Amino acid sequence: MTESRNALNDLDFMDALLDLVIPPNASGSLPGAGGLGLSSAVTAGIEGDPLLGPMVGGGLEAIQEAALSENPQGLSGMTREAGEQLVETTLSTNPFVMMGLLRYLYPAYYAHPRVLEGIGEPPRPPFPEGFEIEATDPRLLEKLHARRRAG
Amino acid sequence: MQNEPVGVLVIGAGASGAAFAWSIADIGTSVLCLDQGPWMKQQDYPSNGLDWEARGMADYSPSPNVRSLSADYPVNEQDSEISPLMFNAVGGSTILWAAHFPRLTPRDFRTKTEDGVGEDWPIDYETLEPYFSLNDRMMGVSGLAGDPAYPYHEPPLPPLPLGKTGNTLASGFEKLGWHWWPSDSAILSREYEGRAACINLGPCLTGCAQGAKASTDITYWPAAQRKGVQLRTGCRVREITIRPDGMADGVFYYDAEGQLHEQKAEIVVLACNGIGTPRLLLNSKSSHHPDGLANSSGLVGRNLMFHPYAMVTGIFEEPLHGRRGPVGCSFWSHQFYRTDHSRGFVRGYSFEAVRGFGPAQTALFGMVQGLVPWGEDHHREFARLYDHTATLLGITEDLADETNTVTLDPELTDAHGIPAPKITYRISDNSRKMLAHAVERGTEALKAAGAAETVAMPLVREAGWHLMGTARMGRDPRTSVVNERGQAHDVKNLFIVDGSIFVSAGGVNPTSTIQALALYVADGIKKNLATLFDPA
Repeated sequence: MTESRNALNDLDFMDALLDLVIPPNASGSLPGAGGLGLSSAVTAGIEGDPLLGPMVGGGLEAIQEAALSENPQGLSGMTREAGEQLVETTLSTNPFVMMGLLRYLYPAYYAHPRVLEGIGEPPRPPFPEGFEIEATDPRLLEKLHARRRAG
Repeated sequence: MQNEPVGVLVIGAGASGAAFAWSIADIGTSVLCLDQGPWMKQQDYPSNGLDWEARGMADYSPSPNVRSLSADYPVNEQDSEISPLMFNAVGGSTILWAAHFPRLTPRDFRTKTEDGVGEDWPIDYETLEPYFSLNDRMMGVSGLAGDPAYPYHEPPLPPLPLGKTGNTLASGFEKLGWHWWPSDSAILSREYEGRAACINLGPCLTGCAQGAKASTDITYWPAAQRKGVQLRTGCRVREITIRPDGMADGVFYYDAEGQLHEQKAEIVVLACNGIGTPRLLLNSKSSHHPDGLANSSGLVGRNLMFHPYAMVTGIFEEPLHGRRGPVGCSFWSHQFYRTDHSRGFVRGYSFEAVRGFGPAQTALFGMVQGLVPWGEDHHREFARLYDHTATLLGITEDLADETNTVTLDPELTDAHGIPAPKITYRISDNSRKMLAHAVERGTEALKAAGAAETVAMPLVREAGWHLMGTARMGRDPRTSVVNERGQAHDVKNLFIVDGSIFVSAGGVNPTSTIQALALYVADGIKKNLATLFDPA
């Protein structure tokens, strides 16, 4: 068996894993999570979580170890299909590991400007520009006015 | 360290403490407020950055146990089916609230008379009405006058726009012939008192970077300070001290550097809400009050009421632009608010129509519901959900139950070694039936509005915003903690003005009523100063 390293601090492993979890889309408008440099933010979140951290860290090490036993380059040396199957098999007894990873990955991924543009959102914070929203439908307002209690 | 004595000492600078302090300043005595939290800065709020959703789950989480900031105290919630939520800062939980601003209805003040459950309040809606209206003006409330579910009242500002989400959902209620009405919202639809109209940022629940959402740090506090009220931040009260005659003498508190202070006062006012207030009373034991202060009834910390929430989300074919606009302020429905015995439960619930999720929340919601997988299909399923959801929340009325409690944890303490609160709370059968009904009817409304698919959470655990009942109001000292003026039966110069004095919970958000109560109690003190401490 190949010796595993600390999975959370193994950048190649983490990038490969994040790309498996959120791959680029077919058109290329949405990047894969691994290529966005999110590993450090995700790792920091997991390591700082006293409840999820140890469980997720342990689960990721199990994935890393299993990958290294199949390919000397680990997850980054495997095909997508083989990688997905390995992750699914390794985590089949503990789905909460993936949920714990996604708890930190999704907020990081969906805050990235390229991703926001890819899903049709402006790549900026809500403040200070804000947004326009649709006015109340006047037909609905008319109905309410007909029902309103008199002052 | 002993500080200069004050006339009135208010503990807690949130929704109720701010309103009370502003009002009581009229009596001309010195007024001091202590709060364990800091002043917030709008430029620090998450919506200034792209990571606003991540911070909503971290340093701006509504759970003190997740945030674990220096202003927070831990809460043992292991024995509770609902997680209590709060924020500790000047402004309190109004920093992170949705600002959905319904009042309790007149019938909510007389549940025993109406339905034979709980107790009637010793005051009624009509007594509070002038304070509701005053509070609406102070906070800056938008709404549409004439809702048939309420006595007539006129919000000072026109209603917020429903947006596409609200228009879509309201059309479903129209089709079914069900009551709905644009929410009273403590969010500005127009410029008001130097604050700009809402520009629809979306993340109201992590603080309003723009200041269109009312929080008492930007509404009441500037006005209170102009009247001379002092506010000390970073000050955590350890206990209320007692004079030899059994009256309150003041407090011991720790400042931000951990130094212990003694602060004497002629009147002590608690505004720490339904968990903080009983915690402090129970931590204030003395020979006069061996079971905790003001606790001769044994009811301090009992009758804890939340609002158990059911959530139903519809997935629509059309994009709804739902992450934009005030997330919790669209419209409400009182269609199922009053008792109908054919439903199998007493009392009822309101619906609150809320807008859509942000992108990260969409992905996480999809994960939890099994709708958005990781891997190859992630983007396709995410796109089906994102910007295509709208949600109805069923806010059910919790009935008071003495076995739902706030007690002191025997081991857990805060950073100053003060015993932390422990919550023991079970959902009643009545609430479970109500939640199930809300899921069924919410699903029906969403489908009528055009939802292709619906997903339900019959009980939302992380929804313990509303903390009520743990020092309830009443005329009989054997069955209540404070009298009809908010004055502790056992300690005549101790007043409570927060959600803990609620007798019943209603099925709506409580802050409007909490603040009206705080103004009413302050007015009572102002009008009765000469006889305030006379025997009953």
